Amino acid sequence: MSSRRSRVSEEEINRLVSKLQSLLPETRQRGAGRASAAKLLKETCNYIRSLNRDVDDLSDRLSAIMATMDSSSAEAEMVRSLLRS
Amino acid sequence: MQVPNSFKLALLKQMLLGFQLSAVSSNSMSFHERKNAIKLSADAAMVFARGSTRWTRGLVASLSKNRNNEDLLRGILGKKYERLSLPCCNSWKIPRSRKILKRCLGLCSRRKKATGTQHDVKSSSTLARRLVKKRIQVLKKLLPGGDSMEGFSLLDQTLDYAVSLKAQVDVMRRLLKISKASNLNK
Repeated sequence: MSSRRSRVSEEEINRLVSKLQSLLPETRQRGAGRASAAKLLKETCNYIRSLNRDVDDLSDRLSAIMATMDSSSAEAEMVRSLLRS
Repeated sequence: MQVPNSFKLALLKQMLLGFQLSAVSSNSMSFHERKNAIKLSADAAMVFARGSTRWTRGLVASLSKNRNNEDLLRGILGKKYERLSLPCCNSWKIPRSRKILKRCLGLCSRRKKATGTQHDVKSSSTLARRLVKKRIQVLKKLLPGGDSMEGFSLLDQTLDYAVSLKAQVDVMRRLLKISKASNLNK
């Protein structure tokens, strides 16, 4: 087992963990050091759950509005708007 | 971490395609049918934009379980559908990555033997380890295809999935905003 290989992987993991931390709304705000593994996992799970809830809620609202919409003109408008940003 | 604009654009385009294919603006659909079509379109579009990775294949697998979804999935994913339907293979790297991950997360006990006086220290780290183990199980259920992932792959795919989900939410939110505005202009 080459120790050099593990050291590179540890760097990768540290990078991954800090990317996750910067993504999560709560751990991002912390000034001090690194969250514990347990806390990181808890907040990751909470974050994914809240995103799934958002998708569900947005699907509800889109469903309500799509019922009355003419989709062909609205599509063009949306794509244009996104291209502008 | 953010996705490139091209990702969001691809997501939006395929989602709108999905809406067209399932005729969401027709009057014949119930609220729930429409909502499900919207959600399915959004998920398939997200998969299309991301391409083939373990969680997207996992998501296609779970969406495909419902036979009614197949037409819309094929319509949105097009040529990508076959490739995304391939079963996930287990990585041979799993045992090593799990060990390395645990070491980095500070979970491996360095002492092989614990004396009586070490008792308190041992129990708190044991509890920490158990809690982490429990939460990893929760994460595996939240991540599409997560059951077959471990260690580094699990976390890496989690990050990838979370970033993509956030993009999906952003696109849907923007679409809703524009739809409301365009509705008012009629």
